[in-house]
Amino acid sequence: MIKFSNVSLVYPNSTTTVIEDLTLEIAEGELVLVIGPTGSGKSSLLRLINGLVPHHTGGILAGDISVDGVSTSSVKPGALAHVIGIVGQNPANGFVADTVEEELVFGMEALNLSNDVMRKRVEETLDLLSLVPLRNRALTTLSGGEQQRVAIASALVAHPKVLVLDEPTSALDPIAAEEVLSILHRLVHDLSLTVVIAEHKLERVIQFADRIVQINGSGNASVGTPEEILMHSTIVPPIVELARAIGLEGIGVSVREMRRMTQNFRDSLSIEAKETTSQSNDVIVDIADLTIAYQGKKALNTLTAKIYENEIVAIMGRNGAGKSSLLRAMAGVSENSSGYVKIHGVDSQTLQRKIRRQTVGYIPQEPSDLLYGQSVQQECNQADSDNDIQPGTTFEILQKLIPGISEHVHPRDLSEGQRLGLALSVVLSSNPHLLILDEPTRGLDYQAKRVLTKILIDFARVFNRSVVIATHDVELVAELASRTIFIADGEIVADGPTVDVLLSSPAFAPQVSKIMAPQPWLTVADVVAAIESQK
Amino acid sequence: MKRLSLHPLTWWIFSAAIAIAVSRVNSTWFALVAVGAMAIIVFSQKDSAPWSKSFGWSLKLALWIIAIRAVMGVVIGVPIPGTVIFHIPILKLPHWMPGIRIGGDVTRERLFSSISEGIIICAIFVIFAAAASLTSPHRLLRVLPVYMYEFGVTVVIATSVLPQLVAAVSRIRMAQRLRGQQTSGVRAFKRIAIPLLEESLARCLDLAAAMDSRGYGLSKKRSRYRPIQWKFIDSAVIAMGLLVMGLA
Repeated sequence: MIKFSNVSLVYPNSTTTVIEDLTLEIAEGELVLVIGPTGSGKSSLLRLINGLVPHHTGGILAGDISVDGVSTSSVKPGALAHVIGIVGQNPANGFVADTVEEELVFGMEALNLSNDVMRKRVEETLDLLSLVPLRNRALTTLSGGEQQRVAIASALVAHPKVLVLDEPTSALDPIAAEEVLSILHRLVHDLSLTVVIAEHKLERVIQFADRIVQINGSGNASVGTPEEILMHSTIVPPIVELARAIGLEGIGVSVREMRRMTQNFRDSLSIEAKETTSQSNDVIVDIADLTIAYQGKKALNTLTAKIYENEIVAIMGRNGAGKSSLLRAMAGVSENSSGYVKIHGVDSQTLQRKIRRQTVGYIPQEPSDLLYGQSVQQECNQADSDNDIQPGTTFEILQKLIPGISEHVHPRDLSEGQRLGLALSVVLSSNPHLLILDEPTRGLDYQAKRVLTKILIDFARVFNRSVVIATHDVELVAELASRTIFIADGEIVADGPTVDVLLSSPAFAPQVSKIMAPQPWLTVADVVAAIESQK
Repeated sequence: MKRLSLHPLTWWIFSAAIAIAVSRVNSTWFALVAVGAMAIIVFSQKDSAPWSKSFGWSLKLALWIIAIRAVMGVVIGVPIPGTVIFHIPILKLPHWMPGIRIGGDVTRERLFSSISEGIIICAIFVIFAAAASLTSPHRLLRVLPVYMYEFGVTVVIATSVLPQLVAAVSRIRMAQRLRGQQTSGVRAFKRIAIPLLEESLARCLDLAAAMDSRGYGLSKKRSRYRPIQWKFIDSAVIAMGLLVMGLA
C-alpha cells in the first residue's frame, strides 16, 4: 500500500538529515507505529506519506514514496485526498467548518462527489465513530476526545485506504484515548484500513501495532515487529521495563500477555500491605467552597481541599472536568463565583508581581505562552532581572534541567521538552512556594518525562515546596505524585494517596499495577524495591 | 420565540427592503423604530454562534459614528440659523481654502440636523449588521455562485480563526500575568504580540496543510451537500419587508 524506496529527507538550513535511506513497505490492513524521541522527525515521516512534506514544507527529498501505486512526487497532496486521510497533532487547528456535519462534508465537496453519495457516507461515518448525537453540534463545544473522533471521521468519510494519525491520544484522558484506539483497531480489522500512527505514549498503542518504525533523529530508522524493536530500544513503555527488570526472557506487549508470562514470578511473592507515607501538616494551599461558573455552567462546584508542604498532588479527571479551572483558581487568575483559595494564608487573587512570582509558579498547557524573548539568553536574563538574582542563575538552572541548550537559540526552535524546560527554569528561578503544571507531558518522550519527574521530586523534597500537576498521564502520576485528586463535573470524587486512588479504578490504573495485581505496586521501581526487600 | 430556519438570503433581502424604506422615509423616528424592530428580531432569533455578536458590535460602532459625526458637524459645517447654544471662535483659514469654516455659532438646529442624519446613516448600517448576525456566513456561502464560493471559503475560514485568536490572547495574557508581568502598556503589548503572532502563523500553516490534504482547491467544480431550499416562510418574511418598503 505504502512504499518507501531509499527515501532521504533534509530540511533547508539544517545540518542533520531527518531520514536517511529508508526503505519500507507497508501492506494493506497493517497498523504501523512510528516511535522516536521528540523532534526526531516522526511528524515529517507521516507527512511524507501524503506529500505534505516536501510539497508544503520545503525540504530536499531523495528516493521515492508511492501510495497505492501513485508517486507522491508527481502529484500534489490534494490529489491523494481520496487515498490518504491525515489527522494532525492538534485536530482543532485543522477544522474548517463550524458544525460536525459540515466538517465531514468539506473534503467530499472539494472532491466533487455527488450529493447522494455524500449523504450516504456521512451517515455511515457518523455511525462508525458513534458521532450521531453530535452531528449538529458546533465544533468548538466538543471535548478533546470528541474533536479527535470528528477529525478521524472527516478523514475517513472520503473512503481513504490509508489513515495517518499524529499523536492521536496525547491530549486525551485515558478513557477517551482507549476509545479512539479501539476504533482504530476496529477499522483495521473490519475495513482492512492501513493505519500509520506516531505516538509517544506507547503503553496503550503497542498492543495494537503490527510493526514499529523507530527513528532516532540522526537519520537512522529500524523497522520490525513490536517485540523485535522494543527488545533493544531505549524508548520503551513501563510494561517492557518491567519485563526487563524482573528478568523475563521475552517481552509482552499487552497486560494479558504479561500476566501470563509473570504467573510464576507473582506466585513466588507474598502479598504486601500498602505502606502509607507520612505527610507534613503545614498547609500551603487552602481551597474553601470554591465555585467557578462560565456562562451559567459550573466548572467547579463548592470544592474544598487542602494541599500540604512538600506534597506532589496530581489532579486527574476527564477532558473538561474542571482541572484547568482549579489550577487557574489556585494561581489566582480565575473569576471565582464564591469561595476562595489561600496560599500561605494570602488570597491568591490579590497576589501581584514579585510576590506572586515568589508564591506561585505556573506552567500553562502551552509553555510557550510564558515566553516572549527572542533567544534563550534573553529569556533567562529577563527572569534574572525580574527576580533580582545573580545574572546567569536562570541559565544555570536550565543547564541543570536540560544540558546542552545553546543560549542563542530561539525558544520556538527548541523541541517540546526543551521548551518546557526553559519555561520551568524561568518559573523556578523565583523559587515559588507552589508550582503548578497544566498537562506538562503533552508531546514529551519517556526520556524527557523521566527528567521532568526527577526535577519535580527534587524540587518538592529538597526545597520543601508543593507541586500540583494536572495530567492524563497515569504512568507519570504513578511515578511522581504522592497524592491524587480525581475530579468529575467540578467536584472531587476521590482524594487520597496515589496508590489508593489509581488502584481503585481500572481505567486509571497504570499497566504495571494491572499486571502485578493484587500487589499494590504502581511502577517498575516499586516492583524492584519490593523484590529487593523480599530477598 | 422559536428560532426560524430560513434561507440564508431571506434576512439579507428583508434587511435590504427595510434599509430602502428607511432611506426613502428619511425620518429619524422611522429609522429608530426600524432599528428597534430589527433588535427585537435579532434577540428573539439569535443563537450562540460567533457571528450573532455582530449586531451588538454594530450598535456600539453606530453610537461612535453618531458621536463623531455630531462633533464634526458642529465644528466644520454649514451654518444653520436658529437658537444659538454656544459659540466657538472661528478659526482663520488661508485664503486658498474658501468655503470652509471651522468654528462659529453652534445652533440647536445645526446640532440636531447632524445627529439625525447620523442616525439615519447608522440605522441602515445596523439593519444590515442584523442580517449578518442572523445568518451563518457558512450557510450564506453555500447559496452563492461557485466562483464566489472559493473566495468566500477563504474569508470564512479567516473569520473562524479570529475567535480562536481572541481566545489565544486571553490565554497568553493570563500566562504573562502569572509570570508576574504587567498586561497593559506598550511593553506588555510586545510580550503578548510575539507569542500570538507565532501561534497564529503556526495555526495558519496547520490549517493550510489540513485543507490541502483534504483536496481543497483541487477540482474547479465543487459539489454541494444538502442544497438549501426556499420555503414558504422565506417568501412570507420577504413579503413583509417589501410591504414596509412599498408603504414608505
